[in-house]
Amino acid sequence: MSFELQEKSLRELCESLLRDGVAEIVVGFGESAFASGIAVPITVKKPEDAAKLSWNSRCVPSLARYIAGRKGVAALVAKPCDARAVASLIAERQLDRDNIYIIGMECAGMTDADGSALAACAECSSRRAPVFDSEITGAPEAFDAPDERSAGENSADRFRGEMDKCILCFSCRQACYGCYCETCFMDRGAPNWQPSEPDIGAKMIYHLGRAMHLAGRCVECGACENVCASGVNIRYLIKSVTDFIECEYGFHAGMDTKTLPALQTYSASDGEPGFWGKNNE
Amino acid sequence: MNAWTPVIVAFLCNWCSYAGADLAGTGRQQYPPNIRIIRVPCSGRVNPMFIIKALVDGADGVMVSGCHPGDCHYLAGNLYARRRFAVLKKLLVTAGVEPDRVHFTWVSASEGTRFAEVVRGVTEAVTALGPNKMTGGGAGEL
Ligand code: SF4
Ligand code: SF4
Ligand code: FES
Repeated sequence: MSFELQEKSLRELCESLLRDGVAEIVVGFGESAFASGIAVPITVKKPEDAAKLSWNSRCVPSLARYIAGRKGVAALVAKPCDARAVASLIAERQLDRDNIYIIGMECAGMTDADGSALAACAECSSRRAPVFDSEITGAPEAFDAPDERSAGENSADRFRGEMDKCILCFSCRQACYGCYCETCFMDRGAPNWQPSEPDIGAKMIYHLGRAMHLAGRCVECGACENVCASGVNIRYLIKSVTDFIECEYGFHAGMDTKTLPALQTYSASDGEPGFWGKNNE
Repeated sequence: MNAWTPVIVAFLCNWCSYAGADLAGTGRQQYPPNIRIIRVPCSGRVNPMFIIKALVDGADGVMVSGCHPGDCHYLAGNLYARRRFAVLKKLLVTAGVEPDRVHFTWVSASEGTRFAEVVRGVTEAVTALGPNKMTGGGAGEL
């Protein structure tokens, strides 16, 4: 099985979706006019243009960013993480299920320019979208994972080290499906959460705040760290919370279009880990 | 002599813990003067950003206290808060904040003695950790 066969089926499917009026637009991946070796988001409206769609190991960006707020039915070429993002958007009522046609691509994981699996993809165990309207299977074998990065300790030094690298460009926020607030807390004048200078404290407020906003909503797509020009490992913070929520509340974001995120609900029998007098990890 | 004592920001729910603090006072319970009380209408009002901001701005400790589960004036504010706090603590610990800097508890309006006990315990725990060095520098005066 191969990308080429998947790409061929994808083009055929999209052509017929557009021809039959099932979707008005396809949001997918295509070749960039400027950069080679990476697929960029493109939209296709005419059936004959379906041949512009590509599917390969460099379809890195998260496309879920491109469909929110659209009118009319859009078809989305969705990796499993993109499909989870779409399912979350539907559960959070940011998107109408009837307005989106999910083309679930069986996924072998995406790679870096050097051909090794991206960090988020190396950790990902889902090959298939949990929610889809059509599915295109036949993905190749998964790629080799790069050498284990220092997964290790959770220390103040590690956190400070990551924060030192950040230049507060907010690309990670722009890339994340879940950061759809019209005015981010970092852009607000009132309340103003930031220190008067954009120092390490501002970065900590941004990343801890964003991690809380993504808590129980992160679909582990890795878009935030793939887009970071400074090589900040952003996901490790959010991942610890994602894992915690999964084991504490049995919740995994974006697996269906109905379940509310873990922090938007509660149960009377919730535990109190880390509370006063309870086990203080 | 060690002059340093911690500054601890305490978010107390108006309907229970704030009244519990009052009762501790009228009952002449002794507890350390290190907490700076901020009254909130419900533990559910405590935005995680309050706690993050307090720590980044140099507070040595944070405590939040609300009504016992089942007793919230707004029925479920503290039940939402309970999840939020558990998750926030996990996040802060991952970021290297010592678990003993951040405390969550429930104190009712009739638990003046318990309030004093908790504040004693929290102050002791935070004092043992020393000043908050999260952003690298020392804590400022609050
Ligand atoms: S993309 Fe990287 S540098 Fe930019 S704000 Fe996010 S972590 Fe910081
Ligand atoms: S926080 Fe990062 S990994 Fe999680 S959904 Fe957003 S972009 Fe993807
Ligand atoms: S009213 Fe006290 S916790 Fe909600």
